[in-house]
Amino acid sequence: MFIINCPYCGEREQSEFKAGGEAHIVRPKQPTELSDDEWAEYLFMRKNIKGIQLERWVHIHGCRKWFNMVRDTSNDQIHAVYKMGEKPPIK
Amino acid sequence: MLKYTTSINDTKIFDNLKIFETSPIMKLIVRGKSREFISSVGKSLNILLPNEPNTSSSGANVTALWLSPDEWIIYANEINSDDSNSYIIESELINKISNTGLGAITDVTDQFVMLNLTGEKIYDLFMKGSPFNFNEFKKKKGAVTQTIINKIDVIIHNKNDAEVNLFVRRSFSNHLWSWLNDSARFI
Repeated sequence: MFIINCPYCGEREQSEFKAGGEAHIVRPKQPTELSDDEWAEYLFMRKNIKGIQLERWVHIHGCRKWFNMVRDTSNDQIHAVYKMGEKPPIK
Repeated sequence: MLKYTTSINDTKIFDNLKIFETSPIMKLIVRGKSREFISSVGKSLNILLPNEPNTSSSGANVTALWLSPDEWIIYANEINSDDSNSYIIESELINKISNTGLGAITDVTDQFVMLNLTGEKIYDLFMKGSPFNFNEFKKKKGAVTQTIINKIDVIIHNKNDAEVNLFVRRSFSNHLWSWLNDSARFI
């Protein structure tokens, strides 16, 4: 069990949240001009970092808002939480 | 006109704890972001929609609970008459909000079941199945939270000292009711 600080509701338990995968993946501007490999790269390929990762999360059993999180995947330590559309606070 | 049939229709009394379903109570979800939306809802209802997270505001007829930065649930303070499903407040809001494109109004009277819990043991009961920390919540009158109890989504409104209103989706209401009754035996 760990506590997540929802940017809208405050500190809540992790079971109220749902993870949404890697954050800041930009959709290609012209999908029709991509090859299948490039499209598959965008759709399926994720970095799967061991260490500090930028992720999307949703407070699904609370305010149902999406937000971003900087989390260390090796020890679940949360370094920062920031709203959608904002720049990540650390690189 | 809808014939509202209650989902639970029961009252249980335990040691320092009483649970019953309050119905039929009008409930509305209002959604919107702009300033005009907030002031327009405020004028129609004669209350200010709470801006601060996890809080509520109460007027003479209705209470508004904060759900998310652009979503509130509004419920009537008094029980509606049995055979009527047309609410003055709703039609006024639809005219002023939905029809002008400021926001959205949804009638969730039949979607949510409102349980009223009174007694000193209510938080002991919640603690048995919820990950939420109620320590601050129970001291603050008017506090609101959306959380899970026994894996069921609920909205809890701290109405008074040792009195809360709990909203649960109708399809989960019987399940939650059974769980509350079962767990209440052991507190």
